[in-house]
Amino acid sequence: MRIKVFLSVFAAIAGLAAGMYFLRPHTFHGTVIQSPERSFDFTLTGAQGDVSPSDFRGKIVLLYFGYTFCPDICPGTLGNVAQALRDMGEKADEVQLIMVSLDPERDTPEKLAEYMQRFHPSFIGVTGSQEQLDEAASLYGIYYQKTEGSSATGYLIDHTATLLVLDREGFLKLVFPFGVTADEIADDLKYILRQ
Amino acid sequence: MSKTFLNAIYVFAALLILAAFAFKVFQPIQVLPRMRIAPAYQFTDQDGQPLTSETLRGQFALYSFTYTQCPAPCYNMAETMQEIQSRLGEVDLGGIPVTFITISLDPDRDTTEVLKAYGESIGADFNHWKFVTTTNKDLLKTIVGAGFETYYENIGDGSIRFDPGYVLVDGWGVIRAEYRYATEVSDADRILRHLGVLADEVKNSKGSTKLAYEAAHLFLCYAP
Repeated sequence: MRIKVFLSVFAAIAGLAAGMYFLRPHTFHGTVIQSPERSFDFTLTGAQGDVSPSDFRGKIVLLYFGYTFCPDICPGTLGNVAQALRDMGEKADEVQLIMVSLDPERDTPEKLAEYMQRFHPSFIGVTGSQEQLDEAASLYGIYYQKTEGSSATGYLIDHTATLLVLDREGFLKLVFPFGVTADEIADDLKYILRQ
Repeated sequence: MSKTFLNAIYVFAALLILAAFAFKVFQPIQVLPRMRIAPAYQFTDQDGQPLTSETLRGQFALYSFTYTQCPAPCYNMAETMQEIQSRLGEVDLGGIPVTFITISLDPDRDTTEVLKAYGESIGADFNHWKFVTTTNKDLLKTIVGAGFETYYENIGDGSIRFDPGYVLVDGWGVIRAEYRYATEVSDADRILRHLGVLADEVKNSKGSTKLAYEAAHLFLCYAP
């Protein structure tokens, strides 16, 4: 009788531990934001006309702030997102990446479109006036500043290199730090799409 | 399916629900909500040096808003900030620096010299307490009004109507607490306690305990 009680208690504890492990909440690779308000909705210019994050309600919107002359950080992150989308298969149709250029002097909408296509056919690049970009960047926590480059690159732009994730309803859900991998991006996006 | 097996599943489900309920009720871990992204900026401080949001990565930042010529009875944020500055040693911050940033809403009159004189007059330690503003008024409005959600308006007679308050930002640039109204305990007590809660999260939110902290966020176990 005692053995039966012992086994039952042991089974319950083991079951509980296993259950908590398998039913544990998803551990995001970025920082989760619990904002009760929709994130700032800018309107900037792409090669096909005006673009706002709210144009893509129903899809996850990835926001990245960079520029086409960016030597390494931007291509690295955009390449990782492109790889994540390829890994996600058909689910990638429910994700839209928008890169906001922080270099209005050199990045025209056409140049941005050509640059973005190198990474993924769905990627969109947008730009605007200095005032519009200052506002959008500040409200998404993106600091940027022009710095001196080499004679080959011209000036460079130091900028916060986070990747922001807006959910289907336009709420800022996640902030990926610089260095996030394609697997980590795909893992979190697939989880958000299931919710 | 045997009856014993079904019973085991029921017991297991009940235990899971009980565990989740107990976590929510007893709140063994408390956190501060990750409210929204703090705005990015480049300000000029009381010494004429640039202060950017990136400079404060990895630190806790406590923001307050005022202007030096605010006529009596102007809300006295300086008193609370001074109290926090002097009592900071009471909190175990695990070595994480805290910077106070007082943003002037009046860039026309609050020049670097005026801000420095004001800081000195209230006994600020400039190593940890910065008095800043920017002459780009549109951007100032974006940063303070839209970013920190602190209302202010120039009402024409040289005075500025504004909602006094404090905003606490973590080392990832996320707003974790806002203090808009007088509370039962003093703002200083509450802010000091919240700094401790943030430091505990940074210190303990690693490995398997990270999961417990994420559960605390999921179950909205927020520190009062």
